[in-house]
Parts: sequence; structure tokens; C-alpha cells
Amino acid sequence: MLVTSLWVAANAVLWSLPLAVAAAFALSRRFPGKLALEGVTHLPIILPPVLVGFVLLMLFGRRGPIGSVLAQAGIHLAFTAKGAALATAVMIFPVFVRSIRLAFEATDRNLFEAAAVLRAGPFDRFFSIALPLAGPGILAGMVMAFAAALGEFGAVITFAANIPGQTQTLPLAIYAVLQEPGGETAALRLAGISFILAMAGLGAAALLQRWAGRRLAG
Amino acid sequence: MKTLEADIELKQGMFTLRARFSAPAEGITVLFGPSGSGKTTLLTVLAGLKRPDRGMVTLGGAPVGDLPAHRRDIGLVFQDARLFPHLTVHQNIAYAARRAPQGGLAVEDVARFFDIAGLLDRPVGNLSGGEKSRVALARALAMRPDFLLLDEPFAALDGIRRRAFIATLLDLHRVHKLPMLVVTHNIDDAAALGSHLVALQAGHVVASGDFATASRQPAFQSLLDARDTGAAISAGMLQAASGNGRGAIWLRADQLLLASERPHGLSARNVLEGQITALWPQSDQSVLVELNSPAGALLSRITPQAVRELALAPGNPVWAIAKAHLL
Repeated sequence: MLVTSLWVAANAVLWSLPLAVAAAFALSRRFPGKLALEGVTHLPIILPPVLVGFVLLMLFGRRGPIGSVLAQAGIHLAFTAKGAALATAVMIFPVFVRSIRLAFEATDRNLFEAAAVLRAGPFDRFFSIALPLAGPGILAGMVMAFAAALGEFGAVITFAANIPGQTQTLPLAIYAVLQEPGGETAALRLAGISFILAMAGLGAAALLQRWAGRRLAG
Repeated sequence: MKTLEADIELKQGMFTLRARFSAPAEGITVLFGPSGSGKTTLLTVLAGLKRPDRGMVTLGGAPVGDLPAHRRDIGLVFQDARLFPHLTVHQNIAYAARRAPQGGLAVEDVARFFDIAGLLDRPVGNLSGGEKSRVALARALAMRPDFLLLDEPFAALDGIRRRAFIATLLDLHRVHKLPMLVVTHNIDDAAALGSHLVALQAGHVVASGDFATASRQPAFQSLLDARDTGAAISAGMLQAASGNGRGAIWLRADQLLLASERPHGLSARNVLEGQITALWPQSDQSVLVELNSPAGALLSRITPQAVRELALAPGNPVWAIAKAHLL
């Protein structure tokens, strides 16, 4: 179940990375419709996790509009580890975007003007200036998101269920052992692991953030 | 090399920039004006970073006003260098060279020219102010622009470094035949660099043209601090203590003594014979004497008593004396 947890969290972070970077970069600029994007991005924070899981089930379930199409391609998400990763990705998206956005916002805008007069176009500027400068911040965001991903519960259990060896992550396992009489000792052990992982994640993120700060200071 | 011409209008809040001028392909044009006169705004418009409300910018006769900054063959060196902090000195210069449409200059050659070859592997974070300015200049040159804009590139430098940087700019212009528009509000730097002058005040061009002529206009002199009133004089006409490589020297009216007869036994190295053309009584009780000399028109500030005692009047011969170390 520790392996499941790590697999789900890693996949949730890696697959949502491009979208999170794109959303974070967009939100660090001014453009029409920014408020709408901001709202959509933050939706998973405001909605009850169980509702997010339910919406995913409606969309990606076997009979859902997206799920039925994916099923034809042989991809099943509901009640699978991949589905757990999807639910986790949706839930951590706000935190992920926020930490990456901070990295983009901390970069000196003047450098983009300097790149423009050196004949770098908008895409060129993004890949040659914005992305490398935000790199350490993005890495810190990934660690942060990974730590948060390890703790997802409501949306995951709703969309992917609690199948040992398949979709049962650490928090789901804690929940499962607590359902049994005398499971407190096992729950405490699992909680200890969970706590250590979370702390390691936070520490790594803090270190990366400090590195990012030094790098931006030039 | 190409002439840069602009006729633009841009409103920013209460401030309106309305500028029409031409910076010739030959020589260095100085964009002079007090703080807040719109010099930097004008440069960002010329470079394409800001769009004017109306008007046009042409480079070598071709309109470039509709092109974004990254499609213009115009380089811009910012006041604060703006080196990329995640790249080394070498990588900063290569960044520009790689993106040059007709192929950039070799990084090593550019570095040698600006005397920064020893810095190439350094990160840009711990360079000194002077080194940063040189790297920024090298980076702009590596792109091989048709025209180079410089926004007070020596603002962070002082004394010797400043003069060295000016000498570098003059070298750059001489060797690479690169036309430049240099922003400054320092009259000594302006005279040392400028073959042409565009003076800006509150967003308007108040004087422009050949430097020596345009700088004599009252509209230009009124931009100067009273102590800086003076005239540009070709460096070749004077023996200056530190005139190495400079195009012209700004000779302040307060630095110029007058004699009604040819002086004898004098330590001053520069004695110019001329003829008085006008006397201008000033509000501070002094008198500005304008004279013609072989080196061009000069200004000297003296007291009304001196005017009477020396019997100075328009048409009279006069000898102007400047001390080499003041220059």
C-alpha cells in the first residue's frame, strides 16, 4: 500500500505538471478571462472532495461521456490505480498551480524585455527565460504537490474505491484498519509513516525554495 | 548602416510624449534631457517594447513601427544591464548571437573587444557594475543590430570607469560603424560622445541637429544647470589633461577667462584668439560673453565690472583662456 501511495502520487504530479505549469504561467500574467481561470483552478479546494470524486465518476465512469470513449481505447479509470491518480491530480491542482505561479511571479519581468530586444519571440522567451528561472520553484512545487498527493482521501475513495493492492493508498489503508476492531495500533503505525513522508516532503520543498531564491537573486 | 527616424505620440496618464527626430546613420546621437522628460519611454517605443498611440518609426527608410521588438534590428542596452541570472557571461552573449538573423558575432571576438574575455565563464551575479555594463554592451553587439540604443549605460559608473566606458563606445562606433542613440543627462558625457543632439523636455523635442550647433540654442542651454552653461568644442582644438579619445569637450562659461590683449607668461595651455559676437546680461548679475574663435563659438561668464574695465563690446578682439586641467 506504500507502493500504491507512491505510484499514485508520482503519477498525479507528473501527468498534471504540463497543465499546472501552463495554468500557473497564464495566471502570473494579465489577460482577459483570468478571473474565470483562477476560479476553475481553485474549485477543488472549495468543493467537498467527495463531490469531486462523484463528478469524476459521472464523467469518467464506464457510462460517462469521457469514460465511455476511453473504455473503447481500453483505458479504464474508475476503480483503478490510474483513476486514483486522476482524482489525486485534480485535488492537488490548486496547491500545485499556486506554488508554481509564485515562482513565475518572482522572476524579473524586465528580463523578458531584455530577451525581446535580443530577438527572442514569446515562445522562445518562455522556454529560454521563464521556465529555467522558475525551474527550482517548479521543482519545489512538485515536491509540495507530491506530499499533498500522499494525503488525498475523499475524492480517491469515491472515484477509485478502496481496493487493497490496487487503489488502497496510505490514508485509505488507515481508514480500512480503523474500521476493524483493535486496528488502532496498525493505524498508528501507518500514521507514523504518513507523517514522516509529509515532513520529508515539506523539508525538501523548503530547501528547493531557498535554492530558487538564491538563483533568482543572481 | 541605417538612419533611425521617428515621429510618434504616446500618452501615459498626464504625460504626453510627442517626438519627431532623426538619428543619422553616421555618428552618435545623444538624447539629452532632464529626469522625467521621457527619454527612456522614447527608447522603449523605438525598440518596440511599447506601442505609440500614433506615429511611425523607420529604420533605413523602412517602417518598423508595426514590428514587435523581437523582429526589429534595433539593439537596446538597458540602464540596469538586465543580464540573465541563470546564464554565464558567455551564455548571455551567445544568447544574442544565436538569435541574430544574419548570424551573430563570435562570442570570443566580442568579449576581446570589450575586454571581458577573462569573465566568460563567470556567472553574472558577482560582476561589478562596470563589468555588467560591458557584458550588456557585448550582448547587444553580438546580435549585430543595425542601430543601437543605450539608456544611460554609464549611470552606475564613476570617474575613470566612466571615461573608459565612453572611450569604449567611441571605439565601438569607429570599428563596427554602428550608429547609436545614447541617453544621458550629463553634459560632459553628451559632448564627449555626441556628433548629433536631440534634446527632450517634458516629452517634446526642444532642440536637435548637429551637436555643436544644436547645443548653442537657448532652448538647449535652458535645460542645463546655470553652472553648466557653455559650448561644445572639438577636443582636437584644445590641450586637455585627460582628453584621450573624446570627440568634444564641454567648455563651461565659468571655466573660460577673457583677456583684452594677448596674454604673456601664462601657465594655461589653451589660449584662443577670437572676436566678441554678443553680450548677454544674466539675472544673477553676471554677463555671458559670446565669442567666435577658430574652435567655434564659445561662452564666458564674467562680471559687469570686468566688461567695463576690459571695454568688451561686440566686434572687439578677445583672447579666451582655458586651463587644461579643468577640461
